[in-house]
Amino acid sequence: MSPDHLSATFAALADPTRRAILARLASGETSVTELAAPFEMTTPAVTKHLKVLERAGLITRSRQAQWRPCQLNAAPLHQAADFIEQYRQFWEQSFDRLDAYLKTMQTPPQKPKIPKKILPIKKENKNGRKKR
Amino acid sequence: MDAKNANLSADQEFVITRDFDAPRERVWRAWTEREQLMQWFGPTGFTMSHAKFDLRPGGIFHYGLRSPHGHEMWGEWTFREIVAPERLVVVTSFSDAQGGITRHPMAPNWPLETISTTTFEEHNGKTTITIRWAPWNASELECKVFSEAHSGMRQGWGGTFEQLAAYLAKANSH
Repeated sequence: MSPDHLSATFAALADPTRRAILARLASGETSVTELAAPFEMTTPAVTKHLKVLERAGLITRSRQAQWRPCQLNAAPLHQAADFIEQYRQFWEQSFDRLDAYLKTMQTPPQKPKIPKKILPIKKENKNGRKKR
Repeated sequence: MDAKNANLSADQEFVITRDFDAPRERVWRAWTEREQLMQWFGPTGFTMSHAKFDLRPGGIFHYGLRSPHGHEMWGEWTFREIVAPERLVVVTSFSDAQGGITRHPMAPNWPLETISTTTFEEHNGKTTITIRWAPWNASELECKVFSEAHSGMRQGWGGTFEQLAAYLAKANSH
């Protein structure tokens, strides 16, 4: 999918009326008049939205029948959803790796070197002394 | 789908959270020390091929990630707020190899910059990390693209995708 195409998909989706139109089309092809009915919009206003959806490749309009039924074209929608999923995956997978990394830190593979600094403290604890 | 519910505000954030079985101090260091961050940052199979890491307000983390197929992607964080070991605020963007910020390779209307706030909370020796992600200095269109891409897809779109799946299943059976 070209960059411009994906932008067109997002721009087309950034409108509640257009999303509602797509939702309606998910249950089958229909005419512009029928689509306009629930929105209290004029047919030209709906046609404008349909043109945006058509340019984004989200719908197709048949040229065969006189009433030019609108059909949903799901592929760009799936591609847009995949695109979003990449972000979630980036972090989910990074978190998995961080989790594994933190576990290796708890059991260090190399011989731990005890810094000399903490030895006197150890001695002090052994003697049961408390420093205030 | 209720069209009104889908009318999301432009500043809607993307939130992701995870619990880690390690004390906060340790998780903070794994996140804010270059060598440690290089061990885990990026999706499965990716390696960090480049990391300039300058942890101070205004400092930059410029990274290159190499995919298992050898594809390289570049990104950049600018540190804004560093409150060890609780909170890290960075401005994030895509970048090129030289460190100049760039547009998203696949979506020109994606915000050029986004702001990411990571919080580290400790409960009984375990740490909860929460990342909140939002557009930064973005135009109205960029905010819309961001909001639609995240919240819109996950909430308002939930029902539609189910309808869509049913529709596709029906279409396939013909």
